[in-house]
Amino acid sequence: MNETRAVVTLSLFAIGILTGVVLHTFVDKGPAENPYPALPKVEEPRAAHDVVAAIGADDAQSLSRLVDSTMLNDLDMALQPITDVRTTKFVGAVESEGRLLSAYVVTGKTTEGIDFVVGFVLRIANDQVVGVN
Amino acid sequence: MVGIRRLIAGSAGTLLVGMFAGFVISSAVGVFIQDSGLFGASGESPIARAYMLGLLQRDPNSIVGIRPNQSIAQRAAELQGADSSRTTTSIQPLSLTYIGGATVGAYSVHIYAVDLRNSQGVDQFFPLALTVSGGKVVRSE
Repeated sequence: MNETRAVVTLSLFAIGILTGVVLHTFVDKGPAENPYPALPKVEEPRAAHDVVAAIGADDAQSLSRLVDSTMLNDLDMALQPITDVRTTKFVGAVESEGRLLSAYVVTGKTTEGIDFVVGFVLRIANDQVVGVN
Repeated sequence: MVGIRRLIAGSAGTLLVGMFAGFVISSAVGVFIQDSGLFGASGESPIARAYMLGLLQRDPNSIVGIRPNQSIAQRAAELQGADSSRTTTSIQPLSLTYIGGATVGAYSVHIYAVDLRNSQGVDQFFPLALTVSGGKVVRSE
């Protein structure tokens, strides 16, 4: 009798899990259709890689040689509120008529010690970083 | 009679707990698959996509529910701006590309590249990084 009850309870639980999964597939709709064309991805540009490597290594000296003061200010803004960078990740790059955008996600801690994530994009032209967004 | 009621209540409870567990597990697995890019998933958030489409189509009403609350004056000013830009300028989106993103805790970042042609016929190519938290776009830059 007890065994039967246990089997029924487990079966009901399993049926419940399956129902929950099916319910989730109906509720969780993917992104809406993109009516615009999407550009093909390209490889990470070398110049952008060097800049982000310096950020990831906390190497201010290398970074100061790689980008000018305006871009350093823009980079500072883009990284806000992160003050202590823990990881950097290249997420992709796209090109349109010679203009290249290389995107990164940075995780780190704010001055209050809170974990945060920000994204920024380096603009590349003629194999050089020419802007930060 | 009481025994049957208890049996039905217990069974319904087990079923409901199972459904909740299934929903949560399926949701967590979905987030993991999206973020990791497994099975061809791009990791793109439906909220971020809706926000970008609302921006490109200059339709503030369509994104009002997925961004932080604004005052009535801010919303009215935005609608005015959208109306005047629709009537005075013609912006033609050429492409919208989801570059990538990542999630840390309650925050996720989604980065897009936008290519559009303004009314002077000049093409502009720029990125937008959206931070999504709690079902809303909390930062756009």
